[in-house]
Amino acid sequence: MQLKKSDVKRQAILETAYRLFRAHGFEKTSMTEITAQVGGSKATIYSHFPSKEELFVECMMAALENYMSGTLKHLDASRTDPRLALLNFGSSVLNFICSPEQLEVRRLIIAEAARSGTGKLFFDKISALRAQLSAFLAACMASGSLRRSDPELAAEQLGAMLEAEMLEPLLLQVREDSPDDRETARAARRAVDAFLRAYAPESQQALQLEQCSN
Amino acid sequence: MKAKTEAKRLEILNAASEVFREVGFERASMSDIRARIGGSKATLYNYFPSKEKLFFEVIHQAKTQELEEAAGGLHPEADELKQELLRFGQKFLTVLYSSEAIAVRHLAIAESRRSESGKLSFERAVLPIEKQVAEFFKKVMKRGQLRTADAKIAAIHFLSLLESELMQRTLLGVLCSVKPEAISGAVRRAVEVFMSGYQRR
Repeated sequence: MQLKKSDVKRQAILETAYRLFRAHGFEKTSMTEITAQVGGSKATIYSHFPSKEELFVECMMAALENYMSGTLKHLDASRTDPRLALLNFGSSVLNFICSPEQLEVRRLIIAEAARSGTGKLFFDKISALRAQLSAFLAACMASGSLRRSDPELAAEQLGAMLEAEMLEPLLLQVREDSPDDRETARAARRAVDAFLRAYAPESQQALQLEQCSN
Repeated sequence: MKAKTEAKRLEILNAASEVFREVGFERASMSDIRARIGGSKATLYNYFPSKEKLFFEVIHQAKTQELEEAAGGLHPEADELKQELLRFGQKFLTVLYSSEAIAVRHLAIAESRRSESGKLSFERAVLPIEKQVAEFFKKVMKRGQLRTADAKIAAIHFLSLLESELMQRTLLGVLCSVKPEAISGAVRRAVEVFMSGYQRR
């Protein structure tokens, strides 16, 4: 399939902006400079992205959104066992966000978000991604494989537990090497198992309690 | 230039802490701080190259101490484990989500490539707290109040659950300060989920 001309342009703008923002930060990168490097007019850039803020958010989130749309497709409550689906999802997400480039992007987002007023835009994008996880959890709750509860809160808690073991030392550069697949799979398993115990359907919890007291 | 001493360093930190408390970070100046301890500006800058660095040190030290006190207050022999966790969670988040602590954490991540602040922050604050909470869980598991599991992982899961509703929002600047009611709600929800994930069945 061939990309439309305007899509090619849009992609070129995103790539150039991504490179410049990463090299110089938000403040020191201007739309003029991005235009100069992409070629064409400023008007063209503004027809794709209404402001520097929006361009910044789009290009910083592009890789993550791309990756997540592929990974989230596998979260299908009607087809797979929830545990297996969450384990695959968890380790796949961890592998991606713990890569050196994504860590650098995350640091940059955190460093610039509050200062440049882009925090809300980033948060909305992240929330939209998380909404797909909560939709999956809501379907599990509806089918009885998880107990009924607030799926959005559950998605936030699962996300936090998945990241808990590895993200902070990587983000703070305490740890320089990237975790390998085995390590991310193990962290995902521990998080998903604790999460599933916490959200086990009540009937199962009662059953387990009974077994325990016998 | 004279060799740096720990006593002088502490004197500067104390003076800076007073100045920050009195006039706030924005209005505080290196001159105000120097005026309080005497000596030359060069000496002050030799210890701390910027007001930001000084702020980081002052707040980091104070908050770490408060967090350690909160974790030290966890009693494994308490009858009501849930109450212990609620009490600790409330203190933990109140300290960690004060506006100064949010600012320092933000700096630690943003500056981690250029300076040691991220690393120091992890080694001096994150790890010791994790360890204290893990010790607590280890004893609690031994007493049979939680299922037997890796206590260190349990501690990491518990702390991340406590922060799950707040961390992203504050790091992105969507939330600048957190109200006490928001904290108690977050703590209650986190403790409930943690307890059901780690209780004995």
